[in-house]
Amino acid sequence: MPAIEVIGLRKTYRRAFRSGHEALRGVDLSVPEGSAFGLIGPNGAGKTTFIKSILGIVQPTEGTVRVLGGSPEDPRIRARIGYLPERLHLPGSWLAPVFLGTVAGLKGLKPDKAANLRLLERVGLADALGRRIGGYSKGMRQRLGLAAAMLGSPDLLILDEPTDGIDPMGRVEVRRILQEEVQRGTTLFLNSHLLAETERLCDRVAILGNGKVLREGRLEDLARSGARWVVRFAPGVDAGALGAAGFTAAGTEGQYHVEAADVAGLNAALDKARATGALLMELKRDGQDLESVLASAMGVAA
Amino acid sequence: MNGVLGIAGYVLREAASRKFILAFLLGVTGVLVTLSLSLKIEVVDGALAASRLFGEVMDINIRAVDVALKPVFMAAAGIVFYGGILFGIVSCSDFATSLLSPGRIEHLLALPLRRWHILAGTFLGVMSLALLGSLYGSVGLVLIFGVKTGYWTMGPVISAMLACVSFAAVYSVMLTTATIIRSAALCAALGGITLVAGIIAGFRTKIAPFIEEGVSRELFKGVTLVLPRLSSLAKAGMDLAASTPLGVQSLTMLLAGVFVFGLGVLALGFWWFEGRDY
Repeated sequence: MPAIEVIGLRKTYRRAFRSGHEALRGVDLSVPEGSAFGLIGPNGAGKTTFIKSILGIVQPTEGTVRVLGGSPEDPRIRARIGYLPERLHLPGSWLAPVFLGTVAGLKGLKPDKAANLRLLERVGLADALGRRIGGYSKGMRQRLGLAAAMLGSPDLLILDEPTDGIDPMGRVEVRRILQEEVQRGTTLFLNSHLLAETERLCDRVAILGNGKVLREGRLEDLARSGARWVVRFAPGVDAGALGAAGFTAAGTEGQYHVEAADVAGLNAALDKARATGALLMELKRDGQDLESVLASAMGVAA
Repeated sequence: MNGVLGIAGYVLREAASRKFILAFLLGVTGVLVTLSLSLKIEVVDGALAASRLFGEVMDINIRAVDVALKPVFMAAAGIVFYGGILFGIVSCSDFATSLLSPGRIEHLLALPLRRWHILAGTFLGVMSLALLGSLYGSVGLVLIFGVKTGYWTMGPVISAMLACVSFAAVYSVMLTTATIIRSAALCAALGGITLVAGIIAGFRTKIAPFIEEGVSRELFKGVTLVLPRLSSLAKAGMDLAASTPLGVQSLTMLLAGVFVFGLGVLALGFWWFEGRDY
């Protein structure tokens, strides 16, 4: 059973005296249970609207949304979800343990001060327990929001920009915590502008652009550019002969690209190259980083 | 129901951290303590023989205690009614807008709560605050005068409860406004307008003859018909505080009118909130 299943999701924001804005234009997406799923896309792509739709905060104009096998409108389903909004507004005059205790109460959890304190220690707020939230830095607020999302060990964690404002060392810590949660069996749904972070944390990615899913799949499948290979030859190759054998120069000296549909085709191309006197030094599949995948999906040159 | 209580607790905790609310409680305490320390009343055979305020003898005729205290309780009830509602409008205007603010409402809506829990909890929290504040002031006043004169009455406490009921009608307008536009200033403004309109509605039969006969007068009568008669309730509260016969025809009908108005406005707010995207 998928943790999140969305079919034909459309959302049009209607405003009085103004034309409506179509934020989502028929999104189909399935997030497998136990996976770490990243949602990426440019500003205004509809990512936050999508997240709000799967939590029932925004009501879809069309389409169906099922989360953890039920409707997000059902409080029993929402009790199994931990959510960190993009800009969490915290009560500034409260202390972190009090805030966490209140959220735990609203989640219907039994009061457990020791567990709450352990959670605060886990997100790195052990030294700030006696300080008012109003005095926290942006990164500390994010950590507290993350602790609130992880209350009650939810089955699904939906995090909107979880490391926004957190310093690089803190990001490593947060990443470690999230990886531990995924190992525990939690499904992670992450929306982050930091593509490197998505790349490190997630095994599946969807690219949202202009209200639609442009590409979706396993990260390595998306990063793979089909039948293209990168080959590096020892210096002194005959460029003309290699060109005739189907190799194209990649810019760096001795580096070439070659298209081969399968292993046999690749070896045939390499045989032709070696026949010209070229000596093979390195061979690898031409992979893209997430930035390039996003750029190509958006139709922009990387 | 746990969700409603949870949100009410959230509001009360938020209130406890507000300096404005704490200053108000300190102010009420200050008035009560000053009154209890500075006012010396001597009662002989149930009559007020001599009264001293800050050591100065107050020049009043010898009268029965209950008669002498009537204007005091009446004035106190008036102050609690109008002053309390005004303070409530100002100090509670941003509770709902704060809960509904971007970044907080998304978090609350993602919790296992029903949407109506959030509004009902906010209303319950604010009304608990109003009830506690008015009980604190009115019971304190009754205790001080009771101990000093031996005259015990529940009038001021009942009057304070009427003020709370009136504030409930005003706050229902403020809460509904917050679901439409998240502006504390607008909530306070509409709360103030409801208070003024409620005062006018209480005098509708006396004001109507001054309006030109025809459409204008009928319109005035029509609009004020649905409004809560707050000034009538205030008058009833003052009469009750002073233990004098009620000047209004039916307190039950007045309360029913306030109840229907508040419930109607709240129903509108709940309906709007259920369908709104955040």
